[in-house]
Amino acid sequence: MVNLLVTIHVITGVLAIFAFLLVVVELLDPKEKTAKRVKAFALIGTILIFVSWVVGGYYYVTYYGTDVKPLIKEGASPWIHSVVMETKEHVFLFLPFLSILATGIIFSSNAELLKNHKTKLAVLLLCALIILIGLAITGMGFLISTGARAAGVG
Amino acid sequence: MKLNIKSLNYSTILTIWLIVVLTIWGELSNSFKTFLAVSTGHHWITKGMLSLIFFVVVYFMISKIVKDRADSTNWAINTSIATILAVIIIFGFYLWHFVP
Repeated sequence: MVNLLVTIHVITGVLAIFAFLLVVVELLDPKEKTAKRVKAFALIGTILIFVSWVVGGYYYVTYYGTDVKPLIKEGASPWIHSVVMETKEHVFLFLPFLSILATGIIFSSNAELLKNHKTKLAVLLLCALIILIGLAITGMGFLISTGARAAGVG
Repeated sequence: MKLNIKSLNYSTILTIWLIVVLTIWGELSNSFKTFLAVSTGHHWITKGMLSLIFFVVVYFMISKIVKDRADSTNWAINTSIATILAVIIIFGFYLWHFVP
């Protein structure tokens, strides 16, 4: 159960990053169906972030606090929980709202998205931010998994 | 679907800063962290739920006041700067909190 939850959390998170990366790629090289595809990718990315949030949150609240956190804190690298995990769990909370904002601009601008340079730039900037924070969170997740294994979890 | 982009930007920035305040306040005050924890069973769930409710309420409140004539680029830059600052503050806070 624990492995399944972590796997779903990671896969949905990575796919969400990939979805917003596809929004960037589509906008940088617009084609006939770009507007439709950008809407679909942004919506999928936002839904995946919410799924990752709920599944990761369930794992964090149910298993991490009791089974993993004490071992990491008593191990050789307590900073992995005290700095990395604490930062990850709170910075993650920014992503749902940033993705709603990016998706909201995309759906509200419609055809203007491809014609209006400023709107396109705004969406590109927000998607880049989502991707960067997403990648940083993925890296932190890797550190936490490594720290947990080093502390004897699993 | 037509959303008020200016209001959406305001509510995103304010929600991100609410998360920063709840996070730091919770770490500095045991009684506040306990309040967050007992409200839903875990402080992190309370922070998430409060943020979602706050985001929706602030969006609709600001939508009633502010007309949607946003310059998307300027607002995206504002939101990005606010977010990057919030990330640095949260990371810096936990680093400071950990280092003896």
